[in-house]
Formats: sequence, C-alpha cells, structure tokens
Amino acid sequence: MDDARPSGLPSGPPVPAYPDGSQLGRQHAGSALVISGLRKVFGAPPREKVAVDSIDLAVPAGSFFGLVGPNGAGKTTTLSMVTGLLRPDAGRVLVAGHDVWADPVGAKARMGVLPDGLRLFERLSGPELLSYLGRLRGMPADVVRQRSDELIQVLDLAEAGGRLVADYSTGMRKKITLAAAMLHSPPVLLLDEPLEAVDPVSARIIRSVLSRYTRAGGTVIFSSHVMALVQELCSHVAVMAQGRIVAAGPIDEVRGSAASLDDAFMDLVGAGEVGEGGLSWLGSSPA
Amino acid sequence: MVGVFASLKWRLVRTRLATGNRAATVAGLLVLFVLAIGVAGLLVWSRSAEGVPLPLVATVFTLQLVAWVLTPLVAFGVDETVDPSRFALLPLRLPTLQRGLLATALIGYLPVANAVLLLGAVLAIAQPWWVLPIAVVCGVVQLLTCVVLSRAAATSMSSLMSSRRGRDLGMLVGFLIFALYMGLTLLLNTGNENAIGTGTQRLADVLTWGPPGNLAVLPALIGEGDWGRAALALVIGVAPLPLAWWWWRRALRKSLTTIGSTTASSAPAGSSTDSAVGGSTAGTMRVVAGRDRLLLWRDPMRRMPWLLLILLTFLYPFIVARGPEGVFWVAFGAILVGTQAGNQYGMDGSGLWLHLMTITDRARARGEVLGHVIVAIIPGVVVIAASLVLQGIVRDAWHLLLPAAGVSLAAMLGGCAASSSLSARIPYAVPQSRKSVFASSVAGQKGVSARATFAVLGLSILLAVPSGVAAFLAVQVADWWGWVSVLLALVVGGVSLVWAVRATADRFLVRGPEILAVVAAGDRA
Repeated sequence: MDDARPSGLPSGPPVPAYPDGSQLGRQHAGSALVISGLRKVFGAPPREKVAVDSIDLAVPAGSFFGLVGPNGAGKTTTLSMVTGLLRPDAGRVLVAGHDVWADPVGAKARMGVLPDGLRLFERLSGPELLSYLGRLRGMPADVVRQRSDELIQVLDLAEAGGRLVADYSTGMRKKITLAAAMLHSPPVLLLDEPLEAVDPVSARIIRSVLSRYTRAGGTVIFSSHVMALVQELCSHVAVMAQGRIVAAGPIDEVRGSAASLDDAFMDLVGAGEVGEGGLSWLGSSPA
Repeated sequence: MVGVFASLKWRLVRTRLATGNRAATVAGLLVLFVLAIGVAGLLVWSRSAEGVPLPLVATVFTLQLVAWVLTPLVAFGVDETVDPSRFALLPLRLPTLQRGLLATALIGYLPVANAVLLLGAVLAIAQPWWVLPIAVVCGVVQLLTCVVLSRAAATSMSSLMSSRRGRDLGMLVGFLIFALYMGLTLLLNTGNENAIGTGTQRLADVLTWGPPGNLAVLPALIGEGDWGRAALALVIGVAPLPLAWWWWRRALRKSLTTIGSTTASSAPAGSSTDSAVGGSTAGTMRVVAGRDRLLLWRDPMRRMPWLLLILLTFLYPFIVARGPEGVFWVAFGAILVGTQAGNQYGMDGSGLWLHLMTITDRARARGEVLGHVIVAIIPGVVVIAASLVLQGIVRDAWHLLLPAAGVSLAAMLGGCAASSSLSARIPYAVPQSRKSVFASSVAGQKGVSARATFAVLGLSILLAVPSGVAAFLAVQVADWWGWVSVLLALVVGGVSLVWAVRATADRFLVRGPEILAVVAAGDRA
C-alpha cells in the first residue's frame, strides 16, 4: 500500500491509497464525492464484524444524495470515514477532488459535516460556537459575524440568544451544527441523520435551507431512515445493507417498477415479512 | 417488597465489584475497612482516658452525619438507588417504596464500614457497662438518622442534581469541603499544642449539644442517673429521625409527582466579541486561548481544578514547612499549573470532532497546543508569583525567592511540556456529564488516566532537576546561583515546551481519529 501522507509528519497508521487518487479524480471528474474500495472491519478474528465491505460510490456534484439503509447497514461508519473522523482499513475517498486522508487540508475545507451522536462544545452559546469555528478556519471575524447572524436568523435560533449549547433541544442542536457546517460555504455537505428526532418545525426549516443550498449548486449527501423524506428531497440515492451498496443512482432508477421508494427499499434489503407472526397473546389479558 | 429492594441493591454491589478494575476496588475496600476498624479501635481505646470518649464520640457522630448528608451532593448518581426518579414508573405505594429504599441504603460497603465504626463508638460510650444495650440502641439510631437524613436531602435535591446546573453545584460543594479541610489543617498546624487541645475540647463541648452529640452522651447520663438531662438528650437525639423520615417521604412524593424545571443555564453566555483569526500558528493560538479563557470560568470541570490549585499553592507551603524554606514548596503548585495543560484532546469528549474538521495543518495544530498551554501559563505565573511574594512576606524568605522562582518556573514549564506531550501520546476520556466531583476518568480507562497523571508529575519533577540543583547551590554556596536557576528554568523549560508543542501537533494530525475514538468514551460515562 502506497502511503500518501503529507511529508514531514511522523509515522502512524498507513493512509489508505488504493487506487491512485489522481487517476480516480480524473475518472470521476464532476463528482462531488468519490468512494473507492472503502472498507472497515471492527474487532479481531474470529469475531470481526465487517461494517463497510469495499464499497464504491460516485456522487454527482449539485445533487441531493440520500444514503439509506436499515440500522447497522454501515451508513454512519461510511460517513465517518468520508469525513475523516474514522480511519478506513482500505480504500480512498475524494471530496471535491481532494483526498480526505492524503490531503485533509484541501478536503476538509471543502466539506461541511453534521455527524450523528457527537457532542459540540457544550459550554459555548450558539453564536460563540459559530464565531469560534469560523475564526479557527481563518475567516475574518466580521465575515463570520455576518454569516453567523444570517444563519441563526434563517435557522430560527435567534430566540436561543445566549443559551449554552448544552441547554439546546435536539432540533436546535441539529440546526446549530448545520449552521457550523455551512458557515464556510463548502461545496459539499455530509449530514448523518440530520432530521432524526427533530420536531416538525425544525425539520421543515432544515429541509428548506438544504434545498436552497442545492439550488445554489451545493451537493448534499445525507443518511436517513425515512424513505418518504428521501423520495421527496433527493435526486439520487444509494441503498446500503450489511456494509454493501446494493443499489445506487437517480431515484427513479433505484425505485424501478416499485410503487414507492419504501417498497423498493424493502425489496432491496430483503425485509419483506418482518414483524409478522407470533404475539398471539398481545391484548388478550392485562397481565 | 423490602426483600426485592435488598436483593436489587445486593446485586448492584456485586456487579460493581465484578466489573471494572477488581484489584483497585478490592484495594479501596481494604483501605476503607482498615480505616473504619482503626477509628473504631481508637474509640474503644479512648475508654481508658478519663473525659475523652464522650466528646470524641460526639465529634465522630457529628462528622459522620455531616458526611452522610453531603456525600450525595458531591457524588450524586454513584449509588443508583439514591435517585428516586429511577423508581417513578413502578406501581408502588409511597410507604412501601420508602421502606424499600431504606433497605437499599443500608446495604453496601459504606453502611457496613459505618456499622464497624459505630460498634467501636458504642463500646466507648457504654459507661458503665450495664448501659451497653442503651448504647447499642443509640448507635442504631445514629446510623438510621445518618441514612434517612442523607436520603431526604438527596431526594429533595434529586431534580436539581440530575441537571447540569445541579452537578455544577455539586462540584462547588466538593471544593468547599476541600477548602474547609485545608483551612482546618492549616489551623491545626499553626497553633501551639495547648491551643489546639483547648480549641478541640471547646468544639467537642458544643457538639455534645447537637443531636448526634446527645446520642453519644445519653448512655452515660442514664448511667449517672441524671434523668432530667437524659430525657432532654433523648428528645434532641432521637427527634431528627422521625423528622428526617417525614421530610424524606414529602420529598419522595414531590419528586415522583412533579417534573424538574431546572434547565436554565448555570453560567451566562452570549455572542462572541473576540476578533482573533486562525490560520497561522499565532492566530490559532489566540482563537483557542480565547475559548479556553472563557471556559476557565464558565465550565466547572475546568474551573474547579484552578480553584483547588490556587488554594494548594497558597496554603500547602504553610502546612508542610514552618521555616523560610517553605518558599520552595510553591513549586508544588507550579507542577499543578503544568497539569492544567494536560489531556488537551480529552476535555470536550466527542466534541473533539469539531477540531478534527477545522485544525488540519501543522500551523493550526501547533497553534491549538500553544493556545491550551498559554491559558495554563499566564494565570499560573500570576498565582505562583503571588504565592512566592506571600511566602517572602510571611516567612521573611526574600533571600530564597530567586532560587524558589527558578525551581517553580522550571516545574511549571516542564509540567506544561510534559502535559502537552502526553495529551496526544496517552489521551484519555473525561466524563462529560459528571455526577461526582471525584469522577475524572471513565470505566476502563482509569489505568490510562492514572498512568498519564503520574507520568506528568514525574516528568515535571525531572525537568525541574537542573534548576533545583542550581537552587541548592544558591542556598549552600552563593546567591548568584539563583539567577542560574532561573536561566536554566527558561532554557530547559522553553526547549522542552517547543519540542512538546511540535511533537504533540504532529501526532494529533496523524492520530486524530484514534484519539477521537478514545476520548469519545467520555460521552457515555
């Protein structure tokens, strides 16, 4: 394996380098995200669990891309490796043409991330968090302030004022994380379950902001369990099951002849008759 | 139903022993029981000294009661059965629940250790021996009062202690207890022996009039046939038990039927006015230092170590040394300053991902480490300098100030270098929702955090050795060695700090995802 680490850094875990990054970029010119041979295994033999099994994927620039799959399919693991938060065992990831693991400076400047289940800097207020992250990225303080004010207004967080992030509701946390992801105006947004456990009002605001972002040329890649939402928002979709991509492409193509994306999904992941049979005792007696 | 609760608690106790570091748990329990048996033995032995056992037991009873009431405030959640909300959905009548909870409170290592201690106390206060049964009853009432009052206080505070605001309060209580302990230790170390004896006797005399004190003297009063005073002692000593029982029941009813409303912030926040911009090493350092400075006061997890550090830096030299040479003990505070730059990547738990996304090049990574270090060094220098001056004034140690400053500076810079370096080499998770002021590491990583802490202390001392040698020569040979001590501190500390910043930044860039995986465990604690 060829180590594509930037020069001068000490030795560490090998940077995945298959296939050659520049060649991959040329092959997929016009893609916002390219994944090739990405693999992650947790645990040691004989109890290892293949979370992501050498997947390939290309996401067209400007698309609204949904990554769907049942729990444990490998969506979060994939997005964690794509965003540089989890080291893959093999494979390569290009975001806007930049290798996430060999050129993290270029790649991370071009992506905005909303992970699922990770904390924020809890003892800062929303405006303080945005100001800190924007200035850390090297953005001038007045630009950060102006964008932060607009994002807070549009995402309906103005009422939170000086409340600490620790005191935010789930919906507010998703919205402030989305604001942080968009602050530096990246061409690609990677969102892990952005609408999970979010109230309907916040969900509508997030959907509206994301739609505006893709209309302006940005690419949104998000994971979700909610098929209706994916069908409504996305232009493209990839279905994951047991660590593999079982279908990917424009949404109409993936749905095929099925009545809905939900039906197509059930068929693809093989979950037809789940929930049937048994439980004859249910409701028959109080104890 | 009491049996069900008792078996639940017994299972919890056994599970805690079976999981985690069993050797450390067993060692801790051994220490606990040796202490309890030691105190019990001391109390029994005090029978032979006239006039000593009753004031002594009165003091021990009072301290025991105070400890029981304060412990849940400092370590709420350590015992799962303290929080009544865990039982809110069970279809139980309140009296049944209360009796069951009392059973759970009486089962465990601490109640047994307390019982051992009380056994010694009972033998001490049974004067003459025929009042032993009365003394036993007094011991039982004392234990029940401790448990019931403790649970009543914890239940009253449960909604608050389940919130972030309450946990902040718990940390403050923990600090106040430590400050009180330090103050008492200082007092005992500064007076002459007679003054201490008189003061302790007076305090004990006052305490015998409190409820625990009255329980301690009741058997002796009956033995002497002082029936009037004995009746008064009976009322004062026993009355808190039914009152606490009633308070507990009231608090239980309230906590099970109302929803906590303490969601407000415990600290003011607002919009940022900081204008530093990252990108370069210096710019990133200013941005990171700005956040750390803000959190130093706002976040109790960061504030509390500083308050303890300030207390120790000022008081410790007075406790451990009596002459002008005490000024060198300021270096102990300087090592603690160095530790404030420790575990830089673990403090925010999985929040570290925000830095992984934004700090991607060497300049920013070095700026981040420097930012954390600067926020330890600047206030640290002020605290150390003030403590040195205080020693100079009080102990007339002006002639030792320069070598002491050299050793302290070396210890502080060396501590910062060691802490920074180990932040990336031995990162460990910090509990992000602390239920106890004492919980500074998570299950499964206690060994790692202990290793990192001892390594920081060891390296700090090692890096201060050159300055220390020069300081020794300044005291023994010639004053100008004091300047050499300061110079060596700047050179050795400075070089090691520069090396540490560079190495730590590089390691963070290479091992960031692995560090995140380790520190994210703090979220689940």
